[in-house]
Amino acid sequence: MKRSENTFWQKLWKQKALVLMSLPFIIYVIIFKYIPLWGWLMAFQNYWPGQSFFNQTWVGLENFRLLLTDPIFYDVLRNTLAMSLIKLISGMFFSIILALALNEVRWTKFKKLTQTISYLPHFISWVVGANLVMNALSTDGGIINEVLMGLNIIDSPIMFMGMPELFWGIIGASHVWKTVGFGAILYLASIVSISPSLYEAAVIDGASRLQRIRYITLPALKPVIIILLIINVGRLMNMGFEQIYLLSNGRVIEYSRIFRIFELDYGLKMMRYSFATTAGIFRSLVSVVLVFSANKIAKMMGEERLI
Amino acid sequence: MKKGFSILILMLVLSLAFTAVTAAQDEDLQELDVFISVALPDYSGSSIVGDIIREDTGIKLNREYLVGDLEQKVGLMIASQDYPDMLVAAHFTDKFVEAGALIPLEDLIEEHAPNIKKYYANHLDALTKEDGHIYYLPQLAIPFEPAERRYPAVGFFISKRVLEANDYPIIKSMDQYFQLIEDYQNENPEYNEQNTIGYTTLFDSWRRFATTNGPMHLMGYPNEGGFVPVKEGGEYVVRPYYGSNVEKYYYGKLNEMYNKGVMDQEAFVSNFDQYLEKLSSGRVLGTHNQYWQIQQAQEVLIDEHPDNIMIPFPVTYDPIVEEHVREKPYVQTTQGMGITVDAEDPVAAIKYLDYLVKEETQHLLQWGIEGEHYQVDEDGMFYRTEEQLAMFQDPAWVRDEFGRHYYYNAFPSLTGLDSNGNSYMPIRQPSAIYANSSDAEKEVMDAYGVKSFTGLYNKPFEDRKYFPLWTITLPTNSEAQIESTRMTDALVQHIPTLVMDSTDKFETNWDAYTEQINGLMDAQIEEYQKQIDWRMENW
Repeated sequence: MKRSENTFWQKLWKQKALVLMSLPFIIYVIIFKYIPLWGWLMAFQNYWPGQSFFNQTWVGLENFRLLLTDPIFYDVLRNTLAMSLIKLISGMFFSIILALALNEVRWTKFKKLTQTISYLPHFISWVVGANLVMNALSTDGGIINEVLMGLNIIDSPIMFMGMPELFWGIIGASHVWKTVGFGAILYLASIVSISPSLYEAAVIDGASRLQRIRYITLPALKPVIIILLIINVGRLMNMGFEQIYLLSNGRVIEYSRIFRIFELDYGLKMMRYSFATTAGIFRSLVSVVLVFSANKIAKMMGEERLI
Repeated sequence: MKKGFSILILMLVLSLAFTAVTAAQDEDLQELDVFISVALPDYSGSSIVGDIIREDTGIKLNREYLVGDLEQKVGLMIASQDYPDMLVAAHFTDKFVEAGALIPLEDLIEEHAPNIKKYYANHLDALTKEDGHIYYLPQLAIPFEPAERRYPAVGFFISKRVLEANDYPIIKSMDQYFQLIEDYQNENPEYNEQNTIGYTTLFDSWRRFATTNGPMHLMGYPNEGGFVPVKEGGEYVVRPYYGSNVEKYYYGKLNEMYNKGVMDQEAFVSNFDQYLEKLSSGRVLGTHNQYWQIQQAQEVLIDEHPDNIMIPFPVTYDPIVEEHVREKPYVQTTQGMGITVDAEDPVAAIKYLDYLVKEETQHLLQWGIEGEHYQVDEDGMFYRTEEQLAMFQDPAWVRDEFGRHYYYNAFPSLTGLDSNGNSYMPIRQPSAIYANSSDAEKEVMDAYGVKSFTGLYNKPFEDRKYFPLWTITLPTNSEAQIESTRMTDALVQHIPTLVMDSTDKFETNWDAYTEQINGLMDAQIEEYQKQIDWRMENW
């Protein structure tokens, strides 16, 4: 017992620099991420501001019952998961394709130009981005409708923003437009770190370009892809509030209301603080479950893990 | 090196001394923080009326104006319980009362505010809550008689072009209204090289009442909100108009117009700015709205396309209906400026508000300085010369140089006629409504033989003490409140479909809509009825 204690303190002393360096972050996490969890108690109360903690009415799991029996709860859950998955998969897929394509381009000026153009949208905010998307899809001189009509594919403009069945697609496409370039940078960086000798050997063995991508680049990217996937799966329940909030309108509300918009409309805006908290807890629980399952799957596939 | 260092020290000391001097100038001014739920650019710190008020009161206001969504802002303020000295939050003010954020004012008024007591006397009953306290003071109190307005509060607006082409007809029914628009649009498909829009409507977030209130006005009611109190044997009984036959007729008509291409194809996905832009371009022939929502566009039209100014009519679903769309001027006694529990010096705050509602202050704010901004004739009546009028025609000047907005918008204030028969509001000065109208407006008024567009409307309803229903707030976390949110969702979702789907699907869509909303009104009606009864008894 004493021996192990000694080794602990000895170890601590040896690593004092590292411990000191991480201390501010631990304090940060405790202050900003753990202490606020105290507010979760609101979910078990009928919270009303202006009263002290001890004067609040406790209602047990009533708020959870209200949440799970809310008539639109399952629509909201479906929208949240569906749109996040669409964004996650399409975002990664196109970023990887772009990174692979850019890596094969040998004309540096063109490569630089493409990269710059493709990551520029990342730097505009969604407020501006959403307006650009809405203008492009407008029936009154929007570029998409103009082009489709110019090519005689349609004879009258289509109201894209008013069609519920198209909303998820618009969210996916605009997400790709905005993030593809920036996402590609990450993959490009990993590709650059692959040893050129592998490619040289492959060329000598007579591998074509596609074969080199298939057998060298993609396997080398696999760990990065898995790690990013695990991180993003944890954010599934929280993704893209701004984008969806700004692009949605009354006609498509059935397909556009995600969890955080639901919390805002049926919680905060109605001053049902307890209900909003309950919905937030639910969201966090689902996220935790998702991260652990993704991690587990990665482990089963024999890949790198985050946790 | 040493020399350089001492120079640096000297500069530091000097700059500190300078800041101390500037701070000292403001030192003898007491500061009051106030949150105001209207969107305005920040106050520059000095203006014609502002400097006088600051001199008189010795108080410097720190205003926080609304940025973004009020509902969210209120939710966050209450959750954090961090309040300024005074606040006003439009129709959410009652939420602050519920949260215990405002202090009772009646004793403060009694002791320190003779002007509030005098000019708000008519409203003090309605301002007293069920617990016997007064928590806030609304803007635009009417101490004496109300004044006439140039435009009625709400109506089906139609372009002057259409009226002119038809020799200024009197428009009574919705069928007639749309017939005029449709025929005119067929003859004039383009305006300024853009397509003519026959009819458009506003459906952007909370402003969508411009669309959904239509049936209520077609039934001849003024703006009551989501339900109408019907007079039945001396009692006011709350009835829904959502799901009614009039509503079905209204959306059926819009659906027909939409499929004929008369109605704006993008109306339901346009936001408020796009709506105003369309109206201001002069290519829109008709819209239904409350005047204050289209006022900005109308001002542009008066300047740039005077032939296209929008003229309101009290249109009903059937010419037989006796309309009372014009509302009796009322004071919004369910919102106003209150003093919070965080206020360090509530007496200074109430004295400041009392100073603002003094008749002289109100004349200063609304008319200006005598001789400089207005004249007084031998009967004691106020008027403005051409030059003075021109000054006040520039909204930016009134806001930034004159400074009215920063002491008037959302602050306790007076309206109607003053103790001498002058209107507090210059544009409602009885002698000025017609005289100060633009040429295009005069042309229309002359054609109909009226002196203001309100003249196109019948007299308002008999005195309804509770009026209007929409100022009732549903209690937080109540069944009625949740019903109301769900009903808004249902409206948002179904109404665009009702209008924009093909006409043969209208019946099916209507059934789906009514099926959903019918279950969402019982608790609301019950709550509204309870509060209407309470108002009838206590106001």
